[in-house]
Amino acid sequence: MFKQLDPLLHQQLRLQIVSLLMNVEKAEFNYLAEKTGATKGNISVQLTKLKDAGYIEIHKSFRNNYPLTTCNITPKGIEAFENYVAALKDYIGEKK
Amino acid sequence: MEKTFNEQESLRVITEMIENTKSKFCNNSFFYLLWGWLVFLASASNFILVQIGYAYSWLPWPVLMFGGGIVSVIAGIRMGKKTKVVTMFDTMMIYLWNGFLVTLFIILFVAASGNLSWNISNALIIALYGLGTFVSGGVLKFKPLIFGGVISWAIAVATVYVPENYSLLMVTLSITVTYLIPGYLLKFRKNS
Repeated sequence: MFKQLDPLLHQQLRLQIVSLLMNVEKAEFNYLAEKTGATKGNISVQLTKLKDAGYIEIHKSFRNNYPLTTCNITPKGIEAFENYVAALKDYIGEKK
Repeated sequence: MEKTFNEQESLRVITEMIENTKSKFCNNSFFYLLWGWLVFLASASNFILVQIGYAYSWLPWPVLMFGGGIVSVIAGIRMGKKTKVVTMFDTMMIYLWNGFLVTLFIILFVAASGNLSWNISNALIIALYGLGTFVSGGVLKFKPLIFGGVISWAIAVATVYVPENYSLLMVTLSITVTYLIPGYLLKFRKNS
């Protein structure tokens, strides 16, 4: 019996965002846009979904009078990502 | 419209994003080279001024260190403005080198109070440089820094046994192996 793949993470852009955030302490919105190559509107939508699920935190502030959005992954998000990778291993058949 | 994708694609996405966050590890060669050259010039000129009998032979230290401090703060603020992402390594490095500075000042304070010979304080400072580069090298997985740290510890032990004036040259030597050589190698790795 295969584990269910978390539908929230099994989507390209959301998985890109969470994978990036797994490796860093925090990242700016523009960094996510640069690394994923997605449109800002799309990223914004996916960030909200991840935030609503409690996987990430979004902080809004200002730098040089420009709005600055930074994101970081939460412990719940880390757990979800780890479960997702474990389920993925099941699918690909690497798990002993 | 959300595009669903298969498990192989998931793996590719995760791998790609991990690769993407790896590239920024070597951009701090600037600080190694700046402080490497400043300490090199300060210790070498201090040694020369002692040899020619100049009364204020220690003068290069406050001048160069103060200048370096200002340049570092400005460069740090500029880099901070460009930085769009903070990794665990960045945070670790900031704490390591700030802790390094505090320890350095404590050693200098104790030495200046006359309770520690300059030989011993220079040996401690060299050992402290060794610790800083050893830990940085381990985190960055950059062997020249790790070796630089180990060589620095050997130089620190040797410093206890050299005549007091020559302990300055040991500082010059240790900064060359712990900062300057690895700093240029790091810069070279970044450019290549």
